[in-house]
Amino acid sequence: MAEPQLGHAATSNNVVPVDGPGSSKEASSASIGLPLRQAMKQPVAEIKIHDITDKFTRACSALEVGQLVKDEYFTLFESIGALEIMDPKMDSGFLQPGEASEDDYDTLGALLPEELIGIMDQLLCYEMAWHTGYPLSQTLFTSVYIDKLLWPEPKVLEQAQFYRGEITDDKRPGVLLEVLRAYCLALVKCCDFAIARITSRDYFEEEDFCTHTYNRVLFVQVPMNVFQRELDASVERLQDGTEVEINPILRDAIVARLQFRKDFLTALDLDVPIDHLEAHWQPLLDGLTTITTTQQLGKTVPGSFSLKIQRRLASTVPPRPIVELDSADAFSKLKQLITDCKEATRFPSLPPDPIEYQNFLWAFASRTPTPLPYSRSYLANLLFHESSISIPLADMRYLVFPASPILDPTNWTLSPPRNPMLPKPPRLQLAILIDDFIDRAGQPYLEFWTALGQNRCRLRRMLNHVISAWDQLQSDAGVVDEDLKNVIGQMNAEGQVLDYPLTTWVYHKKLWMMEKAVLLGFEQDIYLPDEYAGMYLFLNNVSRKRKDLLLTVKSDFNNRLSQLRSNKSASGLQKAKEVQDGLLYIDSLLAETTATLELGLALGKFYVALLYLDLIPRPKRPFGSEQCRYELRMKNFLNLHPSEVTEFSEFNNHTKPFGPYEKPDTDEVDYTKDKIFKWMANPTFWSGMEEHVRRAKEACSLLRKLGPQAAHAVGVREAWDKEVQSTMASCVALGVAVLGLKLAAGAEGPRGITIEFPTGGQGKRYHEGWVVGKVIKV
Amino acid sequence: MSEQGAELKAEELQYVQYQADKEETYLPAIRQLISRDLSEPYSIYVYRYFLYQWGDLCYMALDSSNALIGVVVCKLEPHRSGTFRGYIAMLAVQEPHRGKGIATKLVCMAIDAMAARDADEIVLETEVTNTASLKLYERLGFLRSKRLHRYYLNGNTAFRLVLHLKPGTALKRPIAVELGIDQPGQYQGYPSASHDPMGP
Ligand SMILES: CC(C)(COP(=O)(O)OP(=O)(O)OC[C@H]1O[C@@H](n2cnc3c(N)ncnc32)[C@H](O)[C@@H]1OP(=O)(O)O)[C@@H](O)C(=O)NCCC(=O)NCCS
Repeated sequence: MAEPQLGHAATSNNVVPVDGPGSSKEASSASIGLPLRQAMKQPVAEIKIHDITDKFTRACSALEVGQLVKDEYFTLFESIGALEIMDPKMDSGFLQPGEASEDDYDTLGALLPEELIGIMDQLLCYEMAWHTGYPLSQTLFTSVYIDKLLWPEPKVLEQAQFYRGEITDDKRPGVLLEVLRAYCLALVKCCDFAIARITSRDYFEEEDFCTHTYNRVLFVQVPMNVFQRELDASVERLQDGTEVEINPILRDAIVARLQFRKDFLTALDLDVPIDHLEAHWQPLLDGLTTITTTQQLGKTVPGSFSLKIQRRLASTVPPRPIVELDSADAFSKLKQLITDCKEATRFPSLPPDPIEYQNFLWAFASRTPTPLPYSRSYLANLLFHESSISIPLADMRYLVFPASPILDPTNWTLSPPRNPMLPKPPRLQLAILIDDFIDRAGQPYLEFWTALGQNRCRLRRMLNHVISAWDQLQSDAGVVDEDLKNVIGQMNAEGQVLDYPLTTWVYHKKLWMMEKAVLLGFEQDIYLPDEYAGMYLFLNNVSRKRKDLLLTVKSDFNNRLSQLRSNKSASGLQKAKEVQDGLLYIDSLLAETTATLELGLALGKFYVALLYLDLIPRPKRPFGSEQCRYELRMKNFLNLHPSEVTEFSEFNNHTKPFGPYEKPDTDEVDYTKDKIFKWMANPTFWSGMEEHVRRAKEACSLLRKLGPQAAHAVGVREAWDKEVQSTMASCVALGVAVLGLKLAAGAEGPRGITIEFPTGGQGKRYHEGWVVGKVIKV
Repeated sequence: MSEQGAELKAEELQYVQYQADKEETYLPAIRQLISRDLSEPYSIYVYRYFLYQWGDLCYMALDSSNALIGVVVCKLEPHRSGTFRGYIAMLAVQEPHRGKGIATKLVCMAIDAMAARDADEIVLETEVTNTASLKLYERLGFLRSKRLHRYYLNGNTAFRLVLHLKPGTALKRPIAVELGIDQPGQYQGYPSASHDPMGP
């Protein structure tokens, strides 16, 4: 059993959600224009003290000892937030006999340069621990120095010192302490920027990132250049050398850290202009190298971090351990954050093309290790920044409106007749219908992109919901398609337009998402080995539908092409060229879905065979039924239109083509185990599978040949290439596995082999979504 | 260990339903057993929350001297997704007694009890690395339905496991959605919104 997730339930100032426990993880609202500044949202409550002893004693005397009374509104949520006073594990105010409530660490005590380096680096580790999702109370806010700066709340920045009030001159902090102060101030401002950035986008408080600042105000109002100046002044004082004399090696190490902090702060700045973004991140990578190589110069100062500060941060949560992220981990996380943000800065320079964007988002979400919340918010910010094109419109243009009269720009130039009783000209009607539909598609499209910006687990879950949203959009699209058809009829332009273009576009996107959702399920080890067959066959079904759809689209493209070519006018030929180019995209999509379809089918059949060969463990499962489990698996897809989920009996026909996996050895059934074994011993049994593997490879090769250009993935050329290659490698691996089975098969069943299922997320699979069992000789 | 061996060992134990009037006898032992595997203890109110309302869904394995060897704690109530949902909140067996089928037996009793009370489904969360627990539940018929990033306070990720007891459970929908007032963008029924903030 692990620790219960109850952290912020108890600490947050949020209202307890009406639907009870668990709802505290609601997405933060991203729609409210300004970033939610947590620090500003948490007014310090006025404290009033009442003595309730008498009342309490009186009320208690009415109860038997041990008698329980449960208030109707006492929820699990509250029970989890409850603490037992005087239990040292829960009561953060509890003192052991003789224990002091505060540390006696002297924040004005002189520091050695080595110690300064040690503290700076440790702060950096905690900062990264915070970035990975731990609360400030277990990380940065355990620093005695930071605590002093932030509490009691300074009215002006000058008050943010390692002391409060007046002090005598001999106590005044020396240069190194002043340097540390400048570093800490900038670090705190970095946190402020990070919180503001993350909370301005969709994120999930507990699973991604903790924004709580425990009533500490992270210098929200102080502009960035103030911190930069403090850092600059520190560097100058150190380099000047008249005040302190430090070993140059140590001095340079300290200066490098100050410089890094300044660069980091600058990069995190919320108002940084969108061009030249990349320039901010590269220096950080260089600076980080210096820090890493001089890290051994530092000396830790144990007393400068203390758990006791938690007492004053949040009295309503149990004391929680300081999160120790070791420096190697912390530095690699930091490096990752920098690299990911740097990658994100490429977004604005992508070709203005929704498919390019989509491919970029997908590639970003697929980076390993998975990008931290900050980097994801950073990208989301660029993404939703502004765009000169209508994203959904451009997207559908590529797929279903090749040189189509429906999107003819002149349609948007017509004005309605003066007399509102007169019918609008057909072209104007088209423009209005399309505009309305684009409006309607905006929200589902936004949800789709939002999902792509989430952590990987949530991406899978969110996709399932986005699929439902697109399903509704699809039914609306059907209505608009009818209207379009009528107008096209009035224009006698029937042959120039694909039937049901909007439905086709929505459906295609929906099926694409479904494919990804299933593959993500494999990636996240959601399916057990004996479910592989069914799920890959389901995937095959989905991609088959997508392929059929694309074939219709393709024939429309070809149709359009010959119309335009026969037209022979200059504009006709120009348009023909456009359609010809557009066809490459359709071919690329076709190749992609064909690869999925064929590999899915081959794997499905492979796992069916393994089930009959008893090479996959099948749990007994005394509870529930196969049908219930099938429904549970298909749950997210059950309500879609058109129906994507076959009847259970039909599903069984595919997963159990020879009847139950366990077989009585009598001739009463069509297929005895004997017969199945004999059959499998015949090479022709495997030739079907091999044929699908071959076709999948062929599709991968074609996809590669068409290249990232055709796929609208030039912005992520490398990632795209890698994806295609790893699918290809999965095909090869499956070919090898099938061969292994073929060789081992015999009249008495396979001999001397077992199957190893490579686990996800450990680099053991060529492609995380394609689980190819390995045949191992024993 | 062979199935039979497990049965025999397990038989030396007594499996009993929790009784509210025995709180003083059992609760301290239950707390001790459960909190052994927690870095941060639950308050007594968490235990009482479950035991007061669903004591009959708590089963204990006791040895011949009435010492607590294993325990399972559950709840059962209508869930906003529209199902009547059982939830296994806690499960633990004393270390020296593990691997003998004791937890399996306890969980089976709890499931039977919830099924008898007409539960549609049973859910729970467990750490992705808790092999023993995953194996135990998956052998009984649970499937993984979701992966929950950083579900636990220690930053670990969980699987949500689900067992549907009745056909049609997957088709049940929240009332709001049936009425068509499911707001786009609000992500109703997202895992975050439906998950209990604690895991066994
Ligand atoms: C999980 C727990 C309750 C299991 O109790 P138990 O009485 O040992 O369980 P059972 O004997 O009924 O079954 C456990 C199964 O897991 C297997 N198992 C145990 N440890 C394992 C491991 N490290 N790797 C693989 N399998 C393991 C057992 O062999 C057994 O399977 P088998 O019968 O096929 O051999 C017990 O380990 C425990 O108390 N753990 C700490 C608390 C906890 O994790 N609770 C569950 C959270 S949901």
